[in-house]
Amino acid sequence: MSVETTTESAPAPKKGTNILLGLTLLGLLLFLWLLLGLSTNAFWSPNNISNLLRQGAMTAILAVGQTFVIITAGIDLSVGAIVGFTSVIVAWLLQAGVPLWAAIILTLLMGVAIGAFHGFGIVRMGLPPFIITLATLTSLRGIGLLITNGSTISINHEGFTNFSRTDFLGVPSLFWMVILVAIPAFVFLHLSRWGRYLFAVGSNAEAARLSGVNVNRTIYLAYILSATCAAFVGLLLASRIGIGNATQAEGWELQAIASSVIGGTSLFGAVGSVHGPLLGAFILATINNGANLLNVNSFWQRIITGLLIIVIVYFDQLRRRGSR
Amino acid sequence: MSSLEELSHRHEDEAKLAESETVPRGAPILELRGLQKKYGLVEALKPATVTFLAGEIHAIVGENGAGKSTLIKLLTGVIRRTAGEVFWCGKPVQLATPTEAIKRGINAVHQEVVLCAHLSVAANMFLGDEMDRYGLMRKGAMERAAQAVLDDLGFLLPAGALLGSLTIGQQQLVATAKAAMRGIRFLIFDEPTAYLTRQESAQLFRLIRRLRDQGVTIVYISHRMEEVFELADRVSVLRDGTHVGTRLISETNDNELIALMINRTIEQIYHKEKVPIGKTIVETKGLSGPGFEDVSLTVRSGEIVGLYGLIGAGRSEFALGLYGRQPLSAGEVFWDGKKVDIRNERDAMELGIALAPESRRDQGLCLNLPIGLNINLPIFKRLSSGLVIRKGDEAANADQQIRNLSIKTPSRRVLASAMSGGNQQKIVIGKWLSHGARLFIFDEPTVGVDVGTKAEIYRLFGELLKKGAGIILISSYLPEVYELSDRLHVFRGGRLVASHDHRAASHEDVLTQAIGI
Repeated sequence: MSVETTTESAPAPKKGTNILLGLTLLGLLLFLWLLLGLSTNAFWSPNNISNLLRQGAMTAILAVGQTFVIITAGIDLSVGAIVGFTSVIVAWLLQAGVPLWAAIILTLLMGVAIGAFHGFGIVRMGLPPFIITLATLTSLRGIGLLITNGSTISINHEGFTNFSRTDFLGVPSLFWMVILVAIPAFVFLHLSRWGRYLFAVGSNAEAARLSGVNVNRTIYLAYILSATCAAFVGLLLASRIGIGNATQAEGWELQAIASSVIGGTSLFGAVGSVHGPLLGAFILATINNGANLLNVNSFWQRIITGLLIIVIVYFDQLRRRGSR
Repeated sequence: MSSLEELSHRHEDEAKLAESETVPRGAPILELRGLQKKYGLVEALKPATVTFLAGEIHAIVGENGAGKSTLIKLLTGVIRRTAGEVFWCGKPVQLATPTEAIKRGINAVHQEVVLCAHLSVAANMFLGDEMDRYGLMRKGAMERAAQAVLDDLGFLLPAGALLGSLTIGQQQLVATAKAAMRGIRFLIFDEPTAYLTRQESAQLFRLIRRLRDQGVTIVYISHRMEEVFELADRVSVLRDGTHVGTRLISETNDNELIALMINRTIEQIYHKEKVPIGKTIVETKGLSGPGFEDVSLTVRSGEIVGLYGLIGAGRSEFALGLYGRQPLSAGEVFWDGKKVDIRNERDAMELGIALAPESRRDQGLCLNLPIGLNINLPIFKRLSSGLVIRKGDEAANADQQIRNLSIKTPSRRVLASAMSGGNQQKIVIGKWLSHGARLFIFDEPTVGVDVGTKAEIYRLFGELLKKGAGIILISSYLPEVYELSDRLHVFRGGRLVASHDHRAASHEDVLTQAIGI
């Protein structure tokens, strides 16, 4: 007989706290912008704002994909490597004369294939997500370097490389890409039943299985989405820097995980949103951008980012415990 | 002096402390006066007065949920009592923490082994009390000492082997040897032979008798009557959280103990709706799988089929097999007379089978998700247009089930973890009410829920039956399955060993068949 922990006073509804965290993060972001606006002249210049949005955009998309995986109580360490690898793939395809639309589709399919491989490793081979994605992290960089023979492939497709510099309605195209990803991601996670299944699997896979949820398919789906987001970012990065290089995007997986966690995703699974990691990514981008403007030593940026992760997640934990 | 006694007196200071608290053999060593434990309004143990004598083997028997576990937890300081007094060697004590209990020499060997599978047997036996010299562990010396103890006890186990490489039964023996090495005064065994072979049980009994002869007081909790009569000097019986009596083993017999164990007073709770029994819904023929063998039974519309047996008798395994969670190795399932192939849970759901599993925590609920999501989890497909969930329908179904089951919550958005055991069980049941299944499998639906909730759950059974459903009710609590079942099947050792129509056999017969005297 197990002892039941009986808590008669019910906590505040979950949805309310989700919105509360979102508002807090938004408040923090606006506060940072205000502070930087007051302390530097350059911050609010159109140039800098565009720059900031471009910087944050790629991490934000990675963080959204990463969040799907973390909600299932997994982790995807390979996303940075996928970005570098797919930048090589698209450059290679364009160099080989493949039409742009086909190159883009093939690159995205490469992301799908990598994610499916992760799902296979976890579901069929029983490997821990940490291990299988760590393995792809290192191998993909190796394969990318083999393809380019250790150097880079430059991209001579004008339309493709110009895209990252264009604006639409005064907002950088790269930021529009965030919106392009975020809206379907929101619908998927918060409005579709597959989104519910992600939460259920992350909370208690056995209970989900006994309730008729196809747990294996849900896991495949999460990793495919994450890897496809990463492949999409690989396209954006290739467009931005005009080359394909397998060593690019070093450490971006950690940026993505940090953004997601700052945005309220629980590494234990079953807690997360789409707006959280987006805000988290732009908070991190703002800190980097502000530190550059204020001429803060770039080594300090890393330290500040680390401290911020501890502080935000600690307060989030306190709040969660407090609401119990 | 044998190696066991040598090691158990390794720490002189502890021995001195122990000597200051001694009583002669046969005198009361631990007295419980009006000991009581409440969880909220639920009384898990009603005020009990029991005396344990130094150097006796004192058996405690009772059905599942009778309060045995609560008593052990109180004695070992895992939980604190609500009221009552405890006297240790004549002096009042708190027993508020496990550390205090261990310091006084009170220890327990649990049914589930709590040792480190990745360490060696010797390392486990000395865990937390290692032999060292200059801060470095004396691995060789510990292994030799551990081997000496194991040989001394006749366990035939290698001290250098990894614990995880042993069977559960052998691990249990190691745990017992470890406890015996610590110079204990009072040792509690919680159904220790559940996973033991006959030979291992015999080794364990030898050790228990030897400890008793050294003056250690043994509390022995078991379902198995023959063990109680073989080992114990005295026996106390618990029923529904009440201590109903203590007997000298020489002055009692099976029948008296079984009569004491079974509750006859609350039969009115077990009210079963009279529903005409209809056509056969499901029939299994010689179904076998992991943990169960050759099970043939039928469930008809309007009928409750009870599966009774001790924990580990194969009932839950059968349920999981029928539900497609476990692969079947042999046998056939007929649904509405047609042979069907249930490969996974979704096949089972498709047919119209619902399973409320044994463990709410591990199998039943997504605890850190809202109640509403838990209730709707099996039917999101029906609540969606394409992939997108119709939010209105989602909310409406959750709210309807919450009302229907009177789940006490301010909102469907509250997390399932915030609910009490009874309300959590209602959420598990609520999941399946809207699914519209025709065969409901309830595995231990009333464990850890209070009497009022029990009655509500039974009322729900009636409603399901009226709609033409059939129910498989798995329970280790005899009055429940006995009173509710139209047909009662008894499981033992993975097999269906006996079947009775409603109230056709006596409680005693059923219990005897389940225990296998």
